[in-house]
Amino acid sequence: MTRPLPDQSLGPEWTILELLARGIVDDAEQQTVRDLLLSQTLDWGELLEQALRHKMLPMLAHHIISEGLRFDVPMSIYLHLESALEWNRSQIDVFRRETVRVAQGLAGHGIHFVVTKGMTFESTLYGSLGTRHMNDIDFMIAPPDREAVMSGMQELGFRPFFGWAKDARREEISSRLNRDHLPKLAREIDQPGTRIINIDIANSLTWTKSPFDVPVEEALANPVEQPVPNMPGVSIPCFRPVYQFLFTVLHLFREAWLQKFVDFGTDVGLMKFGDVIRLIDRDRYELTDGELLRIMQTRRVTDAVAWVLRHMDETFQTRTQELLALEKYGDEKLLASQMQSSAYVGAWGQSMRERLQSKARGSLREVAPAHSST
Amino acid sequence: MDDITIQFEECLRRHLRSTKPNAIDYNMELAQLGLDSMTAVAVLLDMEKTFNIRFPDEMLVEGTFRTARRLKEAVQLLRERQAS
Repeated sequence: MTRPLPDQSLGPEWTILELLARGIVDDAEQQTVRDLLLSQTLDWGELLEQALRHKMLPMLAHHIISEGLRFDVPMSIYLHLESALEWNRSQIDVFRRETVRVAQGLAGHGIHFVVTKGMTFESTLYGSLGTRHMNDIDFMIAPPDREAVMSGMQELGFRPFFGWAKDARREEISSRLNRDHLPKLAREIDQPGTRIINIDIANSLTWTKSPFDVPVEEALANPVEQPVPNMPGVSIPCFRPVYQFLFTVLHLFREAWLQKFVDFGTDVGLMKFGDVIRLIDRDRYELTDGELLRIMQTRRVTDAVAWVLRHMDETFQTRTQELLALEKYGDEKLLASQMQSSAYVGAWGQSMRERLQSKARGSLREVAPAHSST
Repeated sequence: MDDITIQFEECLRRHLRSTKPNAIDYNMELAQLGLDSMTAVAVLLDMEKTFNIRFPDEMLVEGTFRTARRLKEAVQLLRERQAS
């Protein structure tokens, strides 16, 4: 599939990352990235900082190594990139084994669940190359199983952990009130390079008090078994493609709109859009046979999904709205009237592309009231 | 008004814009005064700091702050528990 090359108005560093995020699909893109990496004017400091912010350091490292640019990149930077890639591969290996351990533990309690996000994408969308960064392991369960899962996770050595947040007490209160997730769970392990494993367990495809939702029980029905790399005969349950897509896009929508993710600095990133682009590339037949559209309309999530795809298409020159027949959906004013948070791209007066590149999303902008008073 | 009422109302007003010019209606649902999930967290945190209390897990539920009356009762209960 040929796509237009991005304009380079935001700089060569940004262009490299945009192309890597959406996935190199032809020789022209490969040559463009190569030329930009070899450019005398490339600012390596800017490239590394943005790669870090967008969790793309391992992917950048892999690209440079696989392109044979060892002697064209400043040696200290090359060695650091090599280490970053190796560390990420090692962490993924630890996460894989832990995912299987937890999955077997939950299955032993008769709990229905799926593994989501990075752990499933790493092998299916990123070829098990160690290029997909992940901070934690994500699961989805049904709301009635919250207590049983919490108990099972404690048996597996996990405890609620809020120390990752700048204001731990705020996060603790938030996690108790917003019952779309269990509190974040952590377990210390005796493993070089990875001291703590964090697990994030959701029980909603959207969030508490979302104006629209897809029932978790519906999404959990008929999961697909996904083989775990380097563990012959072992598999983990995952959403089937339609619900994998819906969850991934609605999750991105949530993080783009809700102010708290802007405050945490985890709202939107190139990698998250890259996941969606790759999902659509991989599952295009399942996503265009009519079932997805039916579910979106029944569950009233069509506008939220279309909003994400529209911004993705504008940013990455993709044509996913057209592919999924969503051109007439995604009206921003309609969504704003449904949402309680004003933390969406329109509130910046910027494009999604500019928002992604911005390094001061939370601090430059005055925080708008979470609810407009009358 | 006793001290807790003044502090309590100041605390609420810091987070609920629609209550600023008016007297707080203790029986109105706080959601109608603009309390959403984010401001609820901010209000509870502010109450904890203002009154040097800590809401236990079982009180971190919507019922605790459905109305100003319910929230004030919870704060008073925690202050009494702490004093005893």
